[in-house]
Amino acid sequence: MKLTRRTALKSLGATGLVGLGSFPMPALSQGAAAKTLKFVPQANLANFDPIWGTQYVVRNASALVWDTLYGVDANLMPQRQMVESEEVSGDGLTWTFKLRDGLKWHDGEKVTAKDCVASLARWTKRDSMGLLIGAVQQELTAVDDRTFKWVLSKPFPKMLLALAKNNTPCAFMMPARIAATDPFQQITEYVGSGPMKFAKGEWVPGAKAVFERFADYVPRAEPASWLAGGKRMYFDRIEWIIMPDAATASAALQNGEVDWWEIASTDLAPVLKKNKNIKLDIADPLGNIGSFRFNHLHPPFNNVKARLAVLTALSQEDYMRAVIGDDTNLWKTSASFFTPGTPLYTEAGGEILKGPRNIEAAKKLLAESGYKGEPITCVVAQDQPLLKPMGEVTADLLKKIGMTVDFVATDWGTVGARRAKKEPPGAAGGWHMFHTWHAGADCVTPASYVAIRGNGDKAWFGWPNIPTIETEVAAWFDAKTLDEEKAAIARLNKEAFANAVYAPTGFFQIYQAWRSNLDGVVKGPLPFFWDVKKA
Amino acid sequence: MLTYILRRILATIPVMVVVALIVFSLIYLDPSDPAAANAGDQATAEDIARIREAMGLNKSFGVRFGEWTWGILHGDLGRSILTKLPVSGMIAQRIEPTLSLMVLTLVLAIVVAVPMGVIAAWTRGTWIDTAIMSLAVVGFSAPVFVVGYVLIYFFALQWDLLPVQGYTPIARGFWPWLENLILPSLALGFIYIALIARITRASMLEVLSQDYIRTAHAKGVARSDILFLHALKNAAVPIVTVIGIGIALLIGGAVVTESVFAIPGLGRLTLDSILRRDYPVIQGVVLLFSFVYVLVNLVIDVIYTFLDPRIRY
Repeated sequence: MKLTRRTALKSLGATGLVGLGSFPMPALSQGAAAKTLKFVPQANLANFDPIWGTQYVVRNASALVWDTLYGVDANLMPQRQMVESEEVSGDGLTWTFKLRDGLKWHDGEKVTAKDCVASLARWTKRDSMGLLIGAVQQELTAVDDRTFKWVLSKPFPKMLLALAKNNTPCAFMMPARIAATDPFQQITEYVGSGPMKFAKGEWVPGAKAVFERFADYVPRAEPASWLAGGKRMYFDRIEWIIMPDAATASAALQNGEVDWWEIASTDLAPVLKKNKNIKLDIADPLGNIGSFRFNHLHPPFNNVKARLAVLTALSQEDYMRAVIGDDTNLWKTSASFFTPGTPLYTEAGGEILKGPRNIEAAKKLLAESGYKGEPITCVVAQDQPLLKPMGEVTADLLKKIGMTVDFVATDWGTVGARRAKKEPPGAAGGWHMFHTWHAGADCVTPASYVAIRGNGDKAWFGWPNIPTIETEVAAWFDAKTLDEEKAAIARLNKEAFANAVYAPTGFFQIYQAWRSNLDGVVKGPLPFFWDVKKA
Repeated sequence: MLTYILRRILATIPVMVVVALIVFSLIYLDPSDPAAANAGDQATAEDIARIREAMGLNKSFGVRFGEWTWGILHGDLGRSILTKLPVSGMIAQRIEPTLSLMVLTLVLAIVVAVPMGVIAAWTRGTWIDTAIMSLAVVGFSAPVFVVGYVLIYFFALQWDLLPVQGYTPIARGFWPWLENLILPSLALGFIYIALIARITRASMLEVLSQDYIRTAHAKGVARSDILFLHALKNAAVPIVTVIGIGIALLIGGAVVTESVFAIPGLGRLTLDSILRRDYPVIQGVVLLFSFVYVLVNLVIDVIYTFLDPRIRY
């Protein structure tokens, strides 16, 4: 063990405190320390049901405990995971899946087709793609212990993507008795077949979650790639240590008390970059798209001209500099609703966000929309470091084009409740706009991209009713080739801008940081713990 | 005295009932929605409505308050609507770190602040008095989190003497327990030391001007005996009062301190449950804090009678 001032002090303290019964001194041996990973996640693991709670932090923890039938790889392609083989009938209506041999649950029971049928039944009631499959489902049954069959009334070409995707809720497999839980109620037993077991007894919500290696896990032979391939674990124990304070997490990483910090604060990045014991890199290449939503139900934003007026004056650079800062490695402007750098990315129709900002044109559009100076209820969560500056830039933008702003500074919990209200803004408690961001992984395709949908009452908050958007979403789902997909997405992007479904405020990424003795950390939409080793 | 203590203990019951009613009512009036706050961004309005129903949030005020009160009367604080774990169990998990932090802070503050106040009073008007009172002003002015970051920077990052964060249960050894608590206790205790030192000084100054102190001097009693045996005991009532009131200060400060030093205590549990709108947990911890505060006040009242036999209830 390396002798530091702290270890010396510890020994001294122990010696001096023998009389107080301080011995034995607990300490992890060097070997045990190498087998334990201490990780600071992006947020508290407040619940642990990946179907009930769709927060990313829940998904990230779940990926350790529960496995999926398919997993998306670093090329965004679905690959077999628990499945050994699949077969689709010529008419595309019957899918038959065969499970790998030797799969076991953490309680020692065999993974069976019945378990997968029950898990898929629960998932299809909560996931946007699952709901689409559920709508055309005729039969979902176990054929034998390792085989199950899914019969549809209409082909669903994106079946494998749906089962592999990393967007929440992922199609995680659970034992049938657990999967029988109502999808709107939380599970209370955490048995999976993934590479790590959840140590429920050590779970201190808000402080710590512990995962222990599952000795009976059989990884696939292929090399790991995101959620696909062999998930080989080199740690016996992974401790998630929740740290609400970024400065503390940064200090703990510098001091070697933790090994890996999932979201390293941009403000603290310069300090971490100078430390030779720490590596810093982009966490997720798919990044995030900042946004604010218009309420399409009430004036003035029920008029497309008012929404376009805002886009005409909007400067993504202003937003990104306010939110992320001057480190241009971390952000860029993007005249698109889709994730830059991904196969379907397009800027078709995005001209409104390009070039010098035109305040006068925006004012003209606003006047044409019939806006008469009523206060715009702009709801901003002050407890979210990304959203507070975004809200302030929006308030300034609205004032510049002649709008009266009712800036509602509140917390995210209140925004979460208020944005669901369809009542008019003002005294009735409704809203005109709120700020958020979308994970780039969700904006690669329309599969899980709820924010772009225009299906009225069933759409995401703001409830845009834009049938042309829905036509293009359907066209993408029906597309059979990459070219067809690209054409559908280009038309979709154009329609989304023409109707200003929401306001994209720029594309940004965030750093992750880890101790330099850690090897195998990769960029991805979630932290992948397999293949990570500690020297 | 025993009758008095029993009467005071019984009097805590209506106080706790009022506290429970206020806490429950305030939470009921909260316009936010735990279902929406926890369903995630992908959840639709229909999903949120079904989750809200499953959480039991659509029940009327009367039904919810009745169920909660009935549970409390049976020793059941309910279950977290997020983790589904029993609230009493979640509180039990967090009591030791918070109790350790508070006790250590209290001990540290009293051990440091009382002598500081006594010395300041004794050396009134000298540079020592000025220095001690200046420190007290700094203690009052510096927010807990600033003191915490400064301590972390020097003691953990620069000198590598103590850990940045975390908590080790005392069952795993005294030193591992203590090393995690030294910086948090210093950070939290700073303002408390300032408060007690100032009160001690003021109270001591009043007592030191009394005739019997002059008499003690005239009789040749040793200076330390005058200060600590004669004067301090008579100056103790306001000091004890401030220490009692300061418990509330500690509870508030623990929320910040536990967040800065990542200590898994009740303060962080309170903050997390407020941010996530985990109503049963908020109700449980607030009720517990209220009970502790009532209890501390009772203990302080009893201590008065020992310090000053003239005080009778």
